[in-house]
Amino acid sequence: MRFPQLSWRVERRGPARRWPRWAVLAVAAAGLTVFETHAVTLAQLEQNPRLTPRRFASYFADFAYELSLPVQPAEVFLAREKGDCDDYAVLADFVLKPKGYATRLIHVRLVGRIPHAVCYVAQSKAYLDYNNRDVFFTLARSGPTLREIATKVAASFDANWTSATEFTYSYASEAKSWGATVVKTDPPQDDPAPGETHLSKIYVD
Amino acid sequence: MSTDSPGFVGADGRTFRRLLVLLLLVLAVLAFVVVESLRNLDRSIAASDWVNHTHAVISEADAIDANLAAAEGDLRTYLLTGEQRDRDTCQETFSDLAGHVDVAKALTRAAPTQYQQVLQIESLLAQRASLARELLRARAGGPGPTVAGLLAGDAGGAAAHEISRRLLALKDEQNELLAARDTAAYLQAQTTRWTVLTGTGLDILLLVAAAWLIRDDLAARRRAAAALQEANDRLETRVRERTAELAAINAQLVAQNLEDRWSHQALEHQLRYSQLIINSISDLVLVVTKALNISRLNPAVTRLTGLTAADLVDQPLARIVRLTRERGDTAPLRFDPIAQAFADGRDLRSHPAILTDHLGRTTPVRLDAFPLRDRDKVVGGVIILQPAAAPPPG
Repeated sequence: MRFPQLSWRVERRGPARRWPRWAVLAVAAAGLTVFETHAVTLAQLEQNPRLTPRRFASYFADFAYELSLPVQPAEVFLAREKGDCDDYAVLADFVLKPKGYATRLIHVRLVGRIPHAVCYVAQSKAYLDYNNRDVFFTLARSGPTLREIATKVAASFDANWTSATEFTYSYASEAKSWGATVVKTDPPQDDPAPGETHLSKIYVD
Repeated sequence: MSTDSPGFVGADGRTFRRLLVLLLLVLAVLAFVVVESLRNLDRSIAASDWVNHTHAVISEADAIDANLAAAEGDLRTYLLTGEQRDRDTCQETFSDLAGHVDVAKALTRAAPTQYQQVLQIESLLAQRASLARELLRARAGGPGPTVAGLLAGDAGGAAAHEISRRLLALKDEQNELLAARDTAAYLQAQTTRWTVLTGTGLDILLLVAAAWLIRDDLAARRRAAAALQEANDRLETRVRERTAELAAINAQLVAQNLEDRWSHQALEHQLRYSQLIINSISDLVLVVTKALNISRLNPAVTRLTGLTAADLVDQPLARIVRLTRERGDTAPLRFDPIAQAFADGRDLRSHPAILTDHLGRTTPVRLDAFPLRDRDKVVGGVIILQPAAAPPPG
């Protein structure tokens, strides 16, 4: 089942909202209290030695969609069982990478829609997409290049894409680092190599 | 009877070839339209991609402008509050700003002029980020004169205005590009429309021509069928007339045959009657040809001479009859009186003659000869022999 079309979003104009540590812990505790019977926790995911991308996706079948501008802390996302593509992709990257999976976070910019984030898993030759969390094939197969992934993601929306960027995210710093960007109108042979990230001159630490 | 004449078969082949040519033309036009439409579709998609691309650049320029304003606001908020939360927010906003700049750089990578513009904007933004880093570091030590000094040095917001001005210039350029690319997309769509319409129109014309050809061929077939039917009708009429004529002739022949049979029977009857008359005569009657050969004889001849018809027919009369002079005159005749009489066309009556039988015995007889005429021409004669009367004793 495809996720319903996402609503339009105006670029953020005001100051970004952040989740204070105490709020994170409070929400996580509340979530654990309310959903303790069935909500998976970050610790369970991290400590599960048999966690695969497919098994990871299976935990999110009943999650709801809710657009949140900043990426939610993992515990909050899992406890609330609500979130967006960024929350899901970043969590997948965070949980699967330590288990040996070569994961990559990719932002695909679609025409007239908010950018869509997915987590590509090289070993599975597929990407994890929050929109596929409640369908049989939770992993969408795709080639490894940004262009292939962006084309596949855009097709799932019946939309055109303009560019796709690889990025990383740190729960600790709560910031994204941007990597290679592929532009649809560029010749494919000019596409930058995937996987490279760089520290922008505009980054403020 | 075959309904297709050789000429019509030839016409069939010609029509088929013409139809084949027309259909091949239709297919060629169709293939051209499909190929050209697909190519135009690809061009339209490419044009659409470029329009989207331009929108994306404009969108990134707007996002940079908005994120810069947000980042500057977050920075000042942190400078006022000194809260870690506000510092994190400021850092995240600058991170987002960096992301938008990276995307803008990537989007303009293929256009050197625009790329240079973005690089200049990035350079100005880097200066702003550098100032932000210094302010953050200074604020970490408390709201002191360093922060105030740094802010004072940045008074007026000239750098931010310069960035906004350059972004505006970039957007203006992108809007011009957008108009040009939109025009290209529109023209591409128009080309596709005209290609499809022209191809469809041409195909319709060709199909109409094919339909006309088929209609013409059907009309020719109908004409040929009508001509054939007319010829058949004429032939049947002639056959009927000829049959009627033959039937009439046949009826006439049947009637004539009947009349002939009746006539033949009458002739046979007449002949038999004549034969009966001749046969009943006790005198010897012989029918001779003009050359005096015997052609018929009556039974009295056979009785008296002992010779049958088979013996005498086609034999000269002289074989059994010899003319003599009058009694006592034994000199031979110097000419044949019968031949002379026939030549003269007169009768010869009671002429003495000697009849010789099959044993060579002779009998004196009196001979009468009558020429047979056919249209005043003597064709033979009838010879009648009567035994001569015995001479008076004396």
